[in-house]
Parts: sequence; structure tokens; C-alpha cells
Amino acid sequence: MKPTTVVDSRGTMCPGPITDLFRAYRNANVGDVIELLATDPGAKSDTDAWAKRSGNEIVAVIDEKDHIRIQIRVIRKGKQ
Amino acid sequence: MPSVSIVVVGGGSGGTLTSNLLTKHLAGEIHARQVTVHLVSGSQRHIFQPGYLHVAFAGQGPAELERDEHTLVRKDVHMIEQSAERIDLKAQTVTLASGETLRYDYLVVATGSVPNPKAIPGLSEAALNFHTSPEESKKIWDVLQRFDGGHVVVGIAGVPHKCPPSPNEAAFLADDYLRKRGIRDKVKLTFLTPYPRPYPAEPMSRVVEPRFQKRDIEVVTFFNVESVDPTKRMIYSLEGESQSYDLLLMVPPHRGADVVTKSGIGDADGWIPTDKNTMRITGYENAYAIGDATNIPVSKTGVTAHLESIVAANNIASSVHQKNQLYKYNGRIHCPFEMGSGTAAFVIGSYDMPVKEIQPTRIRYMMKKGFARLYWQTLSGNWDWIFGLYFGETHTVERT
Repeated sequence: MKPTTVVDSRGTMCPGPITDLFRAYRNANVGDVIELLATDPGAKSDTDAWAKRSGNEIVAVIDEKDHIRIQIRVIRKGKQ
Repeated sequence: MPSVSIVVVGGGSGGTLTSNLLTKHLAGEIHARQVTVHLVSGSQRHIFQPGYLHVAFAGQGPAELERDEHTLVRKDVHMIEQSAERIDLKAQTVTLASGETLRYDYLVVATGSVPNPKAIPGLSEAALNFHTSPEESKKIWDVLQRFDGGHVVVGIAGVPHKCPPSPNEAAFLADDYLRKRGIRDKVKLTFLTPYPRPYPAEPMSRVVEPRFQKRDIEVVTFFNVESVDPTKRMIYSLEGESQSYDLLLMVPPHRGADVVTKSGIGDADGWIPTDKNTMRITGYENAYAIGDATNIPVSKTGVTAHLESIVAANNIASSVHQKNQLYKYNGRIHCPFEMGSGTAAFVIGSYDMPVKEIQPTRIRYMMKKGFARLYWQTLSGNWDWIFGLYFGETHTVERT
């Protein structure tokens, strides 16, 4: 899936990836797909927990050779 | 040797220390009039920002946090008491508020970060904070003394922000104060965070969580603040949740300095793309950024600004001296973390060393207090041997 925004957090440790994801989420619109690139092993579980809690959708988790790509579709944002 | 112009922009911790270190390293050249170190700073108020917490929650006098910048810089530093309006990395110039243009051979951008409550609708009207000034922090102390019960919400309204432990410290110190006044049972205390846990780095969160539980501090995670309604006393998250409050104490979102944004040398939030090791601005060998101003993945704190200053000053001095040396910062962080009842821990890590779990103790609290007292002296650049002994390795030196 072609992402709307790519957030490259490779090389950062927790809370780098989730901080970068939140910055992108703040600027995103409902329907956008944010792709988070991360090397920190905690990025996957943190993103998963956030998506479940917030009602946003993880559409793909792709294991690359030296990092992971997590694609999140923004389903929910703000007062609804 | 032709005259070399070094311009440091910003008179906070990083800019002051870098200027002082450069005049130490290049004393011979400066006295021979071969090098000039300019420090450009629009404000001469130098404030010890970690002290905001004690103004807000312990009644410390705001004036105790402040010194005149003139008393902190070495005599060989050429002070320019104006703000920088524009930085042109290609032309190697800094334009001052007066319109005058300074040419540089080497540049250090140490313009810090700017707390920006107005970025969240309703936040500046609804919340007090302990990040913008001693005076703003004093307002919290004044309100707390009159507070007689209700819902106190302490939290983080945007990331990144300077001093990562400070929101947690505020919750601990507010709890201490309310217990001391004997009204803690009349207060619900809630901590709001965008992160998945009470402290972003899991090892230190394992230290914080049971202490918050013991003190009955409720934690609400994954709460990215969208807006605040001061009339209804409600705070809303991007995730669609809401919280009521009677007293709202929030860390505002931060952005880079205006001069960075106006000059087009930062990212969308005004953070300068910087090599995380050499502290060089991406694409430039003679321009550096340090401290909060950068986009590098470390905490925005005074200690990191200090350690990055050492690297930038040494790299410039090595270049002037035509030594084939390149200093590289290893990402060391060392944030004091007060956890109430006169105890403190430290958040310690580096690029290659994940944050460790460190328990709070009375001794660490005394160390935190000791560092605070030493702060003004450390800006002189004369005390780095202590930092070297205490921190161990904070950078490497490579031959080029």
C-alpha cells in the first residue's frame, strides 16, 4: 500500500519511533496511511497498543532485513 | 593566518559553554587577533531552567534561577546583544536585528527550543506550565497555595519537549506538596501522557509506575492532546478521549526557534537536521547545531547540550588548528529525575546503551542538588574534568 506519509525512525530508540508516529498522527487526516520505519524492537508493540486503544488500524507490518515497516491507517482522530 | 570568524547563535547553556570553550581552546589565536568568537544573544537573562519545578511546586524564588549573561562569559568572547534574524548557511552569514550582517567561517546554532502553548487550541488560556519562564512557574505555586481540593491534571500536551522527566517530577512534587498541606485526600491527581506508560523509556517506567500507584496518582496513557475547553474545564485527545479538570498543569508542545524557521534551515517543526555524532548541520562541514535546536534522537536537556558543546567546540578548534581530529558525541544522556520525598534517580543511556533501570535514592537527590549548584560554574568550561570523571566516555575522537 502506498503510504501518505513515511516516518523514518530508524536508529532511534524508545520513545523515538512512537514520538515520531505521534507527530505524524497530529498532522494526518482521517484516511491517511502513515508508514513508520523503525529499528527499535519496542516500536511494534507500542504501535500495536496505541492503534488498539485509539481505534486506528495497523494495515501491515513488514519485516525488512534490518528494520520493520508498520503501516497505520488513520481511522479515528479527534472528537467524533 | 587570515582572521577567522566564529559565530555562536544563542546564549543558553549550549551557546554560553561553546563560546567559553572556544576561547579556551583558541586563546593564542584570539590574543594574536587571528580568531574572533562572537556570541549572538538577544536576551541577557540566563535562566537555570531545571529550577522551574522548584519555583512551581516548592516555592523557590524565581530570581534565584537567573544570572546576567555578561557574568557567565569569558572576557575573550565578543558579545553581540541582538537577536539573530536570519542564518544563511550557503552564504555563511548571520543577519542581526539591526540589519547588520556577520560573516562567519564557523557557525554554532544553539537557539534552543520554544515552548508553544498556542499550538493547542485553548491550552494557553486553560493551563499553567513550568516550562516557559520563572514567572509562569510562580503562578503554579500561587494557585497551589489557594487550592483546596478537586481534580489536578498534570501532563504532556505535545512531543518532543525539553526535560523528559519533568512532567513526572511535577506529579511527584505536586503530590508531596498536597500531602504536606494535608489536603491530598481532597484531591484527585491524574497524569496524562501520550506514551504507552508513565515514563516513555520502559526501564524507568518500571520505577515510576509502582510509586505513582502508591501515591494514588492515576495514569492515563495514549492521550495526545488535541484541544482544551477552558469554559467546560475539559481536555480532549486526538484519540477521541476526554478528561475533566479543576487545575491543569501541562507541558506545552515545543518547536524550534523562530530564526531557524525563518531561515529555512529546520524541519517542519523547526528542528535542525544534524549529524548525531559530529553535531554538524547536515550538508555543512563548518556549521554546527547543538542542544534543543537539533533533530537528533536524544533528550532535549541541559546535560546533552553541555556534552554536545564539547564536541562542537573541539571540532572547530581542531579545524582551526588544522589537526586531523574529529570528535563524535556518543548520545550520552544523564537526566536527573526527582521522585518526591527527597529522592531522585537519573535517566542514563546513549546511542548504544538503552536507558537503564535506576532506583531513586536520597544520595542521588543530593547529587541532583549538587549539580544544580554547580551549574553556573560548569558554563565556564573549567569543570569538564569533573564531567569526564563522572560521566566516563561521552565522545570519541577519530583521526581523519
